[in-house]
Amino acid sequence: MKCDYCDLLERNDGILYQDSEVVIAVKETALTPGQITIFTKEHFTILEMIPDEILAKCATVANKVGIAVFESLGAQGTNVIIQNGIPAGQKIPHGALEIIPRREKDNLPLQWKPQQLMDEEMDTAYLTIKQEADKLVDIGKRQEKKQVVIKPEKGKIEAEEGKENYLLKSLKRMP
Amino acid sequence: MPEMSAEQQQALQEKLKSMSPEELREFQKQQCIFCQIVAGQVPAKKVYEDEQSLAIMDINPAVPGHILLLPKEHYAIMPQVPEKEIGHLFLVSKYLSQVLLKVLKAGGTNVFVANGLAAGQKAQHFIVHVIPRKEGDGVLNWEEKLLDNNIRLKVQQVVEGRLNELLGVKKEVVRAEMKKAAVPEKEKGKEQGKEEPLSGKEEKAEEEKEGGEREKEEDEAEPEEPGKEEQPQEAAEKGKSKKPEKKREEKEEGISLDDIAKLFT
Repeated sequence: MKCDYCDLLERNDGILYQDSEVVIAVKETALTPGQITIFTKEHFTILEMIPDEILAKCATVANKVGIAVFESLGAQGTNVIIQNGIPAGQKIPHGALEIIPRREKDNLPLQWKPQQLMDEEMDTAYLTIKQEADKLVDIGKRQEKKQVVIKPEKGKIEAEEGKENYLLKSLKRMP
Repeated sequence: MPEMSAEQQQALQEKLKSMSPEELREFQKQQCIFCQIVAGQVPAKKVYEDEQSLAIMDINPAVPGHILLLPKEHYAIMPQVPEKEIGHLFLVSKYLSQVLLKVLKAGGTNVFVANGLAAGQKAQHFIVHVIPRKEGDGVLNWEEKLLDNNIRLKVQQVVEGRLNELLGVKKEVVRAEMKKAAVPEKEKGKEQGKEEPLSGKEEKAEEEKEGGEREKEEDEAEPEEPGKEEQPQEAAEKGKSKKPEKKREEKEEGISLDDIAKLFT
């Protein structure tokens, strides 16, 4: 399947900015004009496959895009959204952040109905998530290490990526 | 938030007017329910915590499993958050998303940020929502329309200048790209009338101020990088021991990440 984002990049169509890791583009479709997309230069299908340091960079770039949208398009607000997986609305198999300019009463479908859960339902979700999330430690520290290694010394990148992209590796194993 | 009588509200308005920006910020912090949660004064179901961030269950979720990720420091909107913290928050959101995919058997996740009332922001504290998604759950689904190429060019042209400034892209590059975009733009100048959503400017001033503030913070934050070289050794070891462990777990429990990615191929 051809990737629309890789294709935009190849054709240099609507590209606002690119460097070795991130691309900022005005893609061919949008929920509302002024929507801007940030995607990784390398093709990663979903969020989980984007290496930490590249994702952190995407996020800071997204913030800057948000500011530029505020200021130059006269937006009154912005949404930053990652659609991760088809049920989450992801249409293009390339992990990306969408920056959507908002105006009051623009009626964009970016609102959900808050639910009032039963205590039991809440506790079940909480305990299940908590048990797994407890295994997450030192997320920030890993990121700092990456920044130090990646930026000044190019030679080390390969080794680091090999370790980092275990998801990518497992993807490659697929038929 | 406690209920207030009309008199109390008026007194509050008076008080707010007389405050300096610093006092106002401090006051906002004291009033902020999420700051109270961070401080442990208000109970919450915490799922993850580190030095900079705290993740809790949303008490009025879009769907069960909806997580709110907060910076511990009080920021109202994303442009106020220092760069390093934004990077960190999105990193944590990736790992939380992974947790949701795994344990809730969600088919996907949304990472969602609302900046400003117009964007649906309800709290005064910057929040990253991480929402587990399933087919047909009716949360955050939208269809995108094909954009007129002139509109795309116009957006590109309008945003590019400021964006390049923010990204620190050199002026020469800006001019070259502007020229390129400007040529077809002239040919179809008539189309500009269509740009209504882009032209309103009334409420811009406040946003700009906040953007400016953030830039200052950013300047302070950027030169810090050399300092980090102190602990790569230690961190590298931690990283090593962690990753193989994770991989093994995935095999055991059959995490569905690959399946999610495979749907596209």
